[in-house]
Amino acid sequence: MRERITYVQKLGDSLEPSAVRVDDDVIQGPEVHAVREDRLTIALDELPSELRTVVAGTQDLHIRWVSTAAYGTVSPLLTRLPPGFHLFFTPGRNHAVTDGLCSILSGIFGDISCTTPAESFTAVHEDRFQYFQELNDLSHFIQYAKGQLCGPSDESCSARLDTLSEAGSLDLSYDISQKVLRVTALWPYQRQHVHATSRPKVRTEVGILSTDKPKTLEAHEIGISGLLTVLGQDSTPSPTMFSFASRHRDAESAFSAEFLTPTGLHPTLQLQLTSANPPPSTADEDATCTPYAYLTLPRTIFADKYQLSDPLFLASKNLTALRHTTQPVDLEAPEYAMAQWGSTVLLELSPPPPTQPHQQQEGEWTASIPLHLRYLAPAPGGYATAAVPYPAVFWACEPAQGGTVFPPNPFERTHLGYDGLFRGDTVFWHVEPRPAAGGGLLVNEVRVPVLDVDRAGWVNAGTAAAVLVGFAWVVWKIVGVWAGGVNGGGAEEREKKRQ
Amino acid sequence: MARPTAKPGKASPSSSATPPTPSLLASFFHRSAPLYVSAALLRVVFLLYGLWQDANSPVKYTDIDYLVFTDAARFVARGQSPYERETYRYTPILAWLLLPTTQTTGNPMVDAALFSSGKVLFAAADLVAGWLLERVLAKSMDGASARKFAAIWLLNPMVATISTRGSSEGLLGVLVMALLSAVMSRRITLAGLLLGFSVHFKIYPFIYAPAIVWWMDADRMSKTQPSKQPAKQPSLLSKLLAFVTPARLQLAVTSLATFLALNFAMYTLYGPPFLNHTYLHHITRIDHRHNFSPYNTQLYLASSPSAGLGQVDTTAPTLRIESIAFLPQLLLACVLIPLATAKRDLPAAMLAQTFAFVAFNKVCTSQYFLWYMVLLPLYLPRSSFLRNKRLGTAALALWVLAQGAWLQQGYLLEFLGESAFLPGLWVASLGFFLVNCWVLGVIIGDVGEWSRSGVVV
Repeated sequence: MRERITYVQKLGDSLEPSAVRVDDDVIQGPEVHAVREDRLTIALDELPSELRTVVAGTQDLHIRWVSTAAYGTVSPLLTRLPPGFHLFFTPGRNHAVTDGLCSILSGIFGDISCTTPAESFTAVHEDRFQYFQELNDLSHFIQYAKGQLCGPSDESCSARLDTLSEAGSLDLSYDISQKVLRVTALWPYQRQHVHATSRPKVRTEVGILSTDKPKTLEAHEIGISGLLTVLGQDSTPSPTMFSFASRHRDAESAFSAEFLTPTGLHPTLQLQLTSANPPPSTADEDATCTPYAYLTLPRTIFADKYQLSDPLFLASKNLTALRHTTQPVDLEAPEYAMAQWGSTVLLELSPPPPTQPHQQQEGEWTASIPLHLRYLAPAPGGYATAAVPYPAVFWACEPAQGGTVFPPNPFERTHLGYDGLFRGDTVFWHVEPRPAAGGGLLVNEVRVPVLDVDRAGWVNAGTAAAVLVGFAWVVWKIVGVWAGGVNGGGAEEREKKRQ
Repeated sequence: MARPTAKPGKASPSSSATPPTPSLLASFFHRSAPLYVSAALLRVVFLLYGLWQDANSPVKYTDIDYLVFTDAARFVARGQSPYERETYRYTPILAWLLLPTTQTTGNPMVDAALFSSGKVLFAAADLVAGWLLERVLAKSMDGASARKFAAIWLLNPMVATISTRGSSEGLLGVLVMALLSAVMSRRITLAGLLLGFSVHFKIYPFIYAPAIVWWMDADRMSKTQPSKQPAKQPSLLSKLLAFVTPARLQLAVTSLATFLALNFAMYTLYGPPFLNHTYLHHITRIDHRHNFSPYNTQLYLASSPSAGLGQVDTTAPTLRIESIAFLPQLLLACVLIPLATAKRDLPAAMLAQTFAFVAFNKVCTSQYFLWYMVLLPLYLPRSSFLRNKRLGTAALALWVLAQGAWLQQGYLLEFLGESAFLPGLWVASLGFFLVNCWVLGVIIGDVGEWSRSGVVV
């Protein structure tokens, strides 16, 4: 088991080595304004048995939880995903384990509502699968982790795991080629004291880093400098500086998402972006940069790919094209008749054209995404709620010619759902999600009208009565026709004769 | 998805029957050309307007169903199955008919025309259905009057809109009119072919089989030979034997053979997806999005997981109405109405059957109204709705108002997101159902009255 604790500050914020005190297995420093990332690397044989069974049954497995609370982050820890519980995996040969995946996940994360991968997951490629659902907190995972990692009276261990309730994201990542599970938690960009303690038999490396821009840095690269310390080994932090090509960059703009009212059964999610400008600096002048929105839509709501195929219609919403959607997406079934978790959608957005070629255009713009609600199960009061997470919004820049191949870097995150939908040399410039006015969360809720079960008591009897009355009346008239064939003239006919 | 839209008042008999300038109107119907030229022009104008709207507005004139058909045709053109297109729930023949829409030349004008060829086909089917209507009507009235009543269909903007938006219901209109026309001119083989084909195409025309079979008794089919009446009271067996006439057998064999041959061919070509999407879907469908059917709310309630919860009284072993919904529907449409009315007046019987089938169906959208609208001109001339203007106006007003009330509730639900299911939509759909039943009762009463007063087609 290995641990890596990293504080990442912004450009210009750096710490002198003298400001940090290392005492054997403890490191302490001043208050810094930084993102903290903790990564635990666990060998396969150190894993709890149920986790080992799960990962051993897969080629690769990536669980990514993202908080619904907005959080700031810094380069290079910029990747964004819609808030909620994401899972991407490639099953191994052992399908029996795969079938039990959902119940094991429930044991770890709590309320995971998938049944089996075959029923609930969607295929990304032939053999890759995806799952997503709303998961508002990690409380169940924290309890699980305490049981696995902390001794019965290990207060500091418990306290440390409790801080996960404030984390912005948590990743559990396994790849068969490395035979280790990487658990990575990220805490928002905020003021915090530098403090870490190593645990026995766990190699712990602490980095206090900041973004740097040395003169030799190339446009496609990110520079990092700071102090590295291996606890229990180093008595002083050693300065370090390195640079690497990164796929994930900061677009230095923001967006918010809100449903237009009234939402009805066909709500429109409106994205409001603060800037229509392509990313500030790209390595390749000829690269084409286009904004995208990647949505993970729970099965309560969906996008109709056929509706999103007409150029005029798309243009009226400031959309260019639907680049990808889960296949198939049932366009008719009610929510309660479906087991599939939902669907993903990748939409190319259409920013307003710059007024002059070189003039920097400021100002907000919007793009509207037409969606459709499914029928939800009847509920007391006549309304239910569908929660729709914020999409991930980014500019994707593809070089004109084959560009950089990105070697793995210490902060790399792959298998995000959307990265696989682009060329390998694409650079993602992430737009920061901001809560819309009023709410503090990166989730929009829609009030969905449903059948009110409190009033449904008469439906069966009332429908039966109406059908019976209608049927009886028609049969009565039919009897009249038969009878009239013998008698001639009923009441109605006499009435007609009078007129 | 049900997309009921407001098209009130298009069934109005008075819209074409009340002449503002009698002499001009009389001369309009005096010859065929003016009627058919204006019916064609109406559709050309709608078609061109649709092309313009589609090219210039994000809100499309073309029906979503047309995009389904043409997508399916594109799959067929590539040698694939039309069922590759989600929600394609029709016979492959429809996709084949629309193959010209998949052609591209590179010239945008020509391509637009090619893409619209399916709509042209549907609109042409409207005109042929109108012409068949006129032929059937002309058996009991003069040509000008026949054209006047055929105009209810031919010049009906609702009918022209539906076909030029690319809905295939117009094809059913021509098939049913051709079937009726063939039966009435006693061309049994043709009738059998048409019946088998229509049922393959859209299932519901099977309801016409019992009416036609009941209608074509030995007396009617062989007017030259007086039928032999046994002196004694006929035994049940001899009655049964007398029922099985050569004509009936011929119709049964040709229609069944056509139906089976078509289905066998399609199954051979496209396998289980053909059966699943064309037929089985209608049995297993679980989409209960709001529509005009009286069963709609009940189906939504019954399909959901909370159906067994305590809120709804399930203490007694109650019989769920939706599980026997087919009984009143089929009893009326296939047994009682044909038995009571087919021999008295076949076109009116078919109208009543269709009306009953649509009103009592588990799913009902405004497109289904077209199924009976094509038969309406055959009934209206002698109907009490036309004879008694107050009755006619009341029926039309009620039909429109009941639909309007439903549409208003539907608007609250669909666009404003209000929970209008209960009681609004439910009561509105039951109200519309009862209005339909009342109109149906009047139609059936009329048929009885005609037979008593000796009005025969």
